[in-house]
Amino acid sequence: MAEIDESLLRAIIKEVLQEVDTNETKIDFSDKNGSGAATAVAAKPEATDAPKPLSWFKHVGVAKPGTSKDEVVIGVEPGFAEHLTHTLTGLDHKEVLRQVIAGIEEEGLHARVVKVYRTADVSFGGVEADHLSGSGIGISIQSKGTTIIHQVDQEPLSNLELFPQAPVIDLPTYRAIGKNAAKYAKGESPVPVPTVNDQMARVQYQALSALMHIRETKYVVIGKPADEIQVTFD
Amino acid sequence: MKRQKRFEELEKRPIHLDGFVKEWPEEGFIAMMGPNDPKPSIKIENGVVTELDGKKRADFDLIDLYIAKYGINLDRAEEVIQMDSVKIANMLCDPNVSRQEVIDVTTACTPAKLEEIISKLNFAEMIMAAQKMRPRRTPATQGHVTNIRDNPAQIAADAADAALRGFPEEETTTAIARYAPLNAIAITTGAQSARPGVLTQCSVEEAAELSLGMRGFTAYAETISVYGTDPVFTDGDDTPWSKGFLASCYASRGLKMRFTSGSGSEVMMGYAEGKSMLYLECRCILITKASGVQGLQNGGVSCIGIPGAVPSGIRSVLGENLVCMMVDLECASANDQAFSHSDMRRTERMMGQFIAGTDYISSGYSTTPNYDNVFAGSNVDAHDYDDYYVWERDLAVNGGLHPVQEDDIIKARNYAAKAVQAVFEDLGLPAIKDEEVEAATYADTSKDMPDRDMVADMKGAQDILDRGITGVDIVKALNNHGFTDVATAYLNLLRQRLAGDFLQTSAIFDENWNVISAINNANDYKGPGTGYRLWEDKEEWDRIKDLPFAVDGKNAKL
Amino acid sequence: MAEMDELVKKIMAQMQQQNDAPTTQSTTASAPTTAPTKELDASDYPLFSKHPELIKSPSGKGLDEITLDDVMKDNVKADDLRITKETLQYQGQIAKNAGRPAIQKNFARAAELTAIPDEKILAMYGALRPYRSSKQDLEDIAKELETKYNAPICAAWFREAATNYESRKKLKGDN
Repeated sequence: MAEIDESLLRAIIKEVLQEVDTNETKIDFSDKNGSGAATAVAAKPEATDAPKPLSWFKHVGVAKPGTSKDEVVIGVEPGFAEHLTHTLTGLDHKEVLRQVIAGIEEEGLHARVVKVYRTADVSFGGVEADHLSGSGIGISIQSKGTTIIHQVDQEPLSNLELFPQAPVIDLPTYRAIGKNAAKYAKGESPVPVPTVNDQMARVQYQALSALMHIRETKYVVIGKPADEIQVTFD
Repeated sequence: MKRQKRFEELEKRPIHLDGFVKEWPEEGFIAMMGPNDPKPSIKIENGVVTELDGKKRADFDLIDLYIAKYGINLDRAEEVIQMDSVKIANMLCDPNVSRQEVIDVTTACTPAKLEEIISKLNFAEMIMAAQKMRPRRTPATQGHVTNIRDNPAQIAADAADAALRGFPEEETTTAIARYAPLNAIAITTGAQSARPGVLTQCSVEEAAELSLGMRGFTAYAETISVYGTDPVFTDGDDTPWSKGFLASCYASRGLKMRFTSGSGSEVMMGYAEGKSMLYLECRCILITKASGVQGLQNGGVSCIGIPGAVPSGIRSVLGENLVCMMVDLECASANDQAFSHSDMRRTERMMGQFIAGTDYISSGYSTTPNYDNVFAGSNVDAHDYDDYYVWERDLAVNGGLHPVQEDDIIKARNYAAKAVQAVFEDLGLPAIKDEEVEAATYADTSKDMPDRDMVADMKGAQDILDRGITGVDIVKALNNHGFTDVATAYLNLLRQRLAGDFLQTSAIFDENWNVISAINNANDYKGPGTGYRLWEDKEEWDRIKDLPFAVDGKNAKL
Repeated sequence: MAEMDELVKKIMAQMQQQNDAPTTQSTTASAPTTAPTKELDASDYPLFSKHPELIKSPSGKGLDEITLDDVMKDNVKADDLRITKETLQYQGQIAKNAGRPAIQKNFARAAELTAIPDEKILAMYGALRPYRSSKQDLEDIAKELETKYNAPICAAWFREAATNYESRKKLKGDN
C-alpha cells in the first residue's frame, strides 16, 4: 500500500463523518415529512450546502462539445473540490487535477475541466466527459479519487483504463493517467498505467469509501448539464 | 491517560485494521429490519398487484412493477402474507418439513415478508435451513483465475491447476478490459486440458461478456448485476427489463448464466433509500426469480465490507444466501472478496456457507495468491489450500476441493500452457515463448513470469474479434497442434450448448460430461441419515482423507 | 402472469405449426422427426444422454454429425453449435415440470431469440438500457420482432418496457 499519513487520514475521516452527519440531520428531517430519500427525479441536489467558492476552480458557463482533436476533457463528479476537498487517502483535489493536467500537457495536448452533475458514478461521468471531448477521450474523477479513462464509442461501463481502488492511486499515477489519456487522444496505444493490487485496501476503506460516495451523490442534479471549469494553478 | 498494556497489545491485532461503522439506517448502514423497512403486504385485484409491501401501485418504481408482475407466485401470495413468519421460519429448519413444502410457501412471499422470516432465525438455524434448501444435493465451489499482468500462459496453467483441485466452475476477468478475449480463451483451454467439463467464464462489461459467450470463448456468465433501488440499477446501466432480456439472450445461445447481487451495493453506490441491506437484497433476489434466471451469486459479494461493518451483518449475509435458496435459485454464495485482515475473522466469514454446503460455497475462491487476484482479492486464496483441505478433513465436510499431488499439478500446468501456446500460434496471436510455458509451469504468481508486449497482445485481442474467430477455430487450432484430447473436450463443451441440459438450475459437469443439477441431483435432505454426506461419497472422501502431509503410522520412519 | 401464460401458449402453438410446415426462418431448416407426444419432465433429463435423437443443430445436424472429424473437415460452422428453439422448449417443459415456471418463460423468450443474429440481439439489448431509446424506438423494435422474427413474446416485452420507461422516466433524454 502507498504510504499514507495516518493522522491526516484520521482528520479527513472525521471531517467526512462530521459533514455527513450535519447533512444527515437535514435529510432525516425531510424524510419524516416526505416520501423517502433519493428519488431519481429530483431536479435539485439533495444537499443544501452551497459550493465553496474557489479562486482556482471557476465556473464559466455550461460546457459545450469541443471540436479540437487535441483536447482531453476531465470530468469531475459533483462534490469534487467544492464540497469535498480530498480523496479517500487525503490527496488534495487541486493537486490531483494539477497532476492529471500536467500529464496531458506533457504529451502536447490541452486539458479541459468540466463539473459533472447528472451522476456521481465514475463511468457515467466518463461518458459525459468523452462526449464533450473533441478527441473523444475523457477522464472522470470521483471525489474519493476513483478514476477512469473512457472513449466515446465504448459502452458506459466499459473503459480504456479503470482505476477502481482509490486508496492505491498516488499523485504520480494521476500524472500517468493524464499522459496515457493524451496518448489515446493522439491515436496511440500506450502501455496501460501499472495498477497496484492491494486487496487489503478495500477491506480497510470500503465503508469509508461508501460514506464519501453517499456524500457525493447528494450533489447530483438529474438533468443538469456539466459546467465548464476554468482552473488556475499558482 | 496512562495506557493499559493489554489494551495496547490488542490494538496491534489485525482485526483493528478492519472497518467497522455504527448503524445509520437513513443511509442504509443497517443489516436487516431497519426502521424504514416496509411491513409485508400484498393486494391483488383482477390478477394485478395493486399494493406491495405498503406501497400503492401508483408509487411503484420499475423494480416493484417487475417483481409484482413476474417475481411472486400470486396464487398463494395473499394466503402466505397472512401466515406467521415465525411459523415459516420453523418450517425452514424443521427436517420433517420437505424442501418442496417450504418452496411452495416461500415463492409466494413479498420482499418484506422474506426479510421478516429471515429475521426470526439465528445463525445456527440458518445453517440448518441452508443445508436443506440449497437446490443441488452435492455442494461445490468456484474459483477465480486471474493475474495482474493478464498473462495467458499463467491463466491457462492456473486454470488447469484449479481444475485438478476440484473446481467445476472457474471465473476470470481482466486487469485491462481489452484483454478479455485472450483471458477467456486461456481459461477455457487451460481448464479443458486438465479436467474436461469445467465451466468457464470471463467477467467484463455486460454486452462484451455476452459477446464472448456467443463466440464460444466462455461457457457461462455470472456478473449480470442487479440492484435493489432504482437509481442504483440505473447507474448499473440497466433496468429490470433490459436485464430480463439479457437473461433470455444468454439462454438463446445455450449459455448458462446467473445474476449477481449482494447487500451493501446500494449503500456503496450511494442510493440505499433508507432501507436495510437485507430488504434491498430480497428485492434483488425476486428480480432474479422474475427474470426466469436459474441462479444468483449473492452474499455481500464485492461490497462485503459494508454488511461486514455493521452489527449482525455476516448473519444477514448468510440470510440473503438462504433467501436465494428459498425461492429455488442456484446460490453461488460469495466468500469471494478480501474481507478481513484477521485470519480468524475471514474464517468466521465463511463458516455458515461452508458447514451448510451451498451450490458454490465461494464464488470465487482465489486459485492464485491474492497478489494476482484481479477481483481485488478473495476471502480465501491459493495459499490457503492446505488449511482448507484440513477444514474439510477435520469436519468431514465437502467444501468442493481436494488435495493434489505436486507432480500431477506440474504436468497439468505444463500441458495447459503448451495448449494455449498452440492456440496463440495457430490464431496468429503474439507468440507465447517456451520460456513462458516453463515459467507458467512452476509459477506461484505473475512475479515469476517474463513480461509480455502488452500493446501487441491488445492488438491481437482486437484482431481476433474483428476476424470473427470462434470456438470452432480454437478446436481446430488445438487439433492442428496435436492436442486432440483438449480439442475434443473443447468441442464437447460447445456441443453441450445444443442440448441445453446445463441451463437447468445449479448445473455443473463431471469429467465425463455428465450433468449434475437440481433436476437429477435434487437436494433430498430430511434430517440425519438423508441428503449429501461426505463419507457416503466414498471417492471424494478418500481424496480428502488422503492428506499428503499426514503421517502414515505403519510406514513412518521414526 | 395470466397474460404471459396466454402469450406462452400462443407462441407454443405457433411454433408447433412451424414444425409441421416448412418455414422461412433459417433456424428451423429441419424439424425433429421424432417430436415427443407428451411434455418432457425430470425423467427425460438429461436430454444429451436420454434423448439425443431430439437434439439438432439449427441446420438440422444431429450430435453424431458434430464430431472432431466433422470440424476438421469444415463440416461444422460456429452456427451449428447453437441451441434451437425446440430444444429450449423441451428444457422449458422440464423446468416447469420440476416446479420452475419462471424458467420456462425465460426459455420461451429465448426460443424466439434464436432466430435473431448476434449483432442484432446485442443492439436490441442496448436499446433497452436506460436513457437509450425513445418510446417510438422501442415500439419500432417491437414491430420488427413481431413481423420480421415472429417473436410476439419479446415484442410484448419491449412494449411493456416502453410503457414503464415512459412513466418511470427511463427514456432517452430523461436523465
